[in-house]
Amino acid sequence: MPFLPCWGLPGSGKTTCLRLISGFERPTSGEIRIFDKVFNEVPPNRRPVNTVFQDYALFPHLDVRDNVAYGPMVRGIGRQQRHAEADRMLELVKLGGLGRRSPAQLSGGQRQRVALARALINKPRVLLLDEPLGALDLKLREQMQEELKSLQETVGITFVFVTHDQGEALSMSDYIAVINNGRVVQYGSPQQVYDLPRTRFVAGFVGSSNLVPPELSEQVGAASRWHSLRPETISLVAAERAQISGRLHSVRYLGSMQRVQVRVGVHSIDAVLPASIQLPEHGSRIHLGWPGNALNPLEDDA
Amino acid sequence: MTAVAAVNSKTHGIWGRISDLMWRKPGLLVATLLSLPILWLGIIYLGSLFTLLLQSFYSIDEFSGMIRREFTLKTYGELLSPANFDIILRTFLMACAVTISAAFIAFPIAYYAARYARGRLKALFYLAVMLPLWSSYLVKIYAWKLILAKEGIVNWLVSELGLSFLLNALLSVPVIGGNSLSVSYVGTYLVLLYVWLPFMILPVQAALERVPTNLIEASRDLGGTQRQTLRIVIIPLAMPGIIAGSIFTFSLTLGDFIVPQIIGTSRRFIGQAVYAHQGTAGNIPLAAAFAVVPIVIMTIYLWVAKRQGALDAL
Repeated sequence: MPFLPCWGLPGSGKTTCLRLISGFERPTSGEIRIFDKVFNEVPPNRRPVNTVFQDYALFPHLDVRDNVAYGPMVRGIGRQQRHAEADRMLELVKLGGLGRRSPAQLSGGQRQRVALARALINKPRVLLLDEPLGALDLKLREQMQEELKSLQETVGITFVFVTHDQGEALSMSDYIAVINNGRVVQYGSPQQVYDLPRTRFVAGFVGSSNLVPPELSEQVGAASRWHSLRPETISLVAAERAQISGRLHSVRYLGSMQRVQVRVGVHSIDAVLPASIQLPEHGSRIHLGWPGNALNPLEDDA
Repeated sequence: MTAVAAVNSKTHGIWGRISDLMWRKPGLLVATLLSLPILWLGIIYLGSLFTLLLQSFYSIDEFSGMIRREFTLKTYGELLSPANFDIILRTFLMACAVTISAAFIAFPIAYYAARYARGRLKALFYLAVMLPLWSSYLVKIYAWKLILAKEGIVNWLVSELGLSFLLNALLSVPVIGGNSLSVSYVGTYLVLLYVWLPFMILPVQAALERVPTNLIEASRDLGGTQRQTLRIVIIPLAMPGIIAGSIFTFSLTLGDFIVPQIIGTSRRFIGQAVYAHQGTAGNIPLAAAFAVVPIVIMTIYLWVAKRQGALDAL
């Protein structure tokens, strides 16, 4: 039961991807397969897919319970039964007892949970979430991330989750698809995507990797191509063990860590070092080293 | 410092001082801006409305034809006489027919304009809806009289299509039929529908534009068919626009006295009754009582609409 975040910059095609799965856009070519069945010709209301919309899209003229009971209602299930079902779903998302409220009376986080309950009541095979946490403040967002994750484990269906927040994508996923210009540029586990980005786009996007240009790669004895190098893998070493040396350009204090920028010729390399390390004066020469596998070769961007 | 003080203390005339005063007392500014419109509304509109109400409680002396300035409900009683009550019922039914038909015709047009028309097409839509409102009301109605007359284009077209029997069947229906379309209630209905339709299309279109697309998508996503989406999501959310439009078409039809005068039978509508009683007949109290009828009907209509919750989303 995977949790698949699609992750890319705004405008890169993530939402279009969801709309293709849900049926609001039709592909100009190719096939939309959901669990190995082709759904190209099937309208949205007959796909085993439900969406949690970016701004929740709750019906303002229906109360919370009728919002959640919308799916069963259009399938022709009687009032009593669908209300009972809706109340059960509201319990699941911890909104029991709020069924008679109107959506306007709820907070952002509560609305999001109503949207979730409304989508899950249909027992979809796939649940699509379009930046569902974007409208929430940081604290609420972290709490909802936890809840979404545990909910996904409880109900056991595939979540396809669109976000442009890399922290969200990394912490919540079983698999990640990184999308750029409408293409999936890398697909894999969060660790794979984080440690071994395939292209410069992915490397630049996941956290704040150093992008090492070909000429600098040659200097450190690697192949003449672009590499990525995570700043936290770099450490200060003695001159004789240095992979590269440069001038200390700037230091930013981050609490437990410090972020150090080192100039090597025209290039610069960032390293994240423990804050306890004493640094020499600005402009002095320092020596950097990293484990052999830290330098990750990149493919050329398509 | 002194230079600044000099600038500030420099007297700048009566307008400057008034402007300073307005800044210090914002309430005064609002009062100044609103006094003229409020006077206008108060005296011209509410005043004449009140005078009208007052007149309707007077009665006319049957022998001298003079107005007796004593409060009585006698004039309202006259409204219930069979001839007068027929006028009210006829006007009310016509207003209902026009309003309901206008809602059904306007909705698809407004829906298309709100959901699909873009750019030039949308401009064309506005032009097509508004254009009739820019030409003279009388000219339009006389044009319709010609269109609907026995020698008119409708009759010609119907006979060319070999469908004369249908039109004749319609015209031979008692009450609504007649010698030709232009002298039947069907004709009155068609022309009223035509002249008031824009007042239904525009508010419905505005209401439909405000229905967020993602609600429609949410309904489809949750399994709703297009019909269910229309019935459960779109129409309830567009209801304020439909109500607003129906207030226009309903009240305009209730009060119109020119269309039924030119097109239709010789039987009167409320507007014509008001016109006749305050004019040649000189029965101002009865005219006033007739004029109160649409006001009462509209008040009841709005009250029912409010109770049904149709105005909640306004």
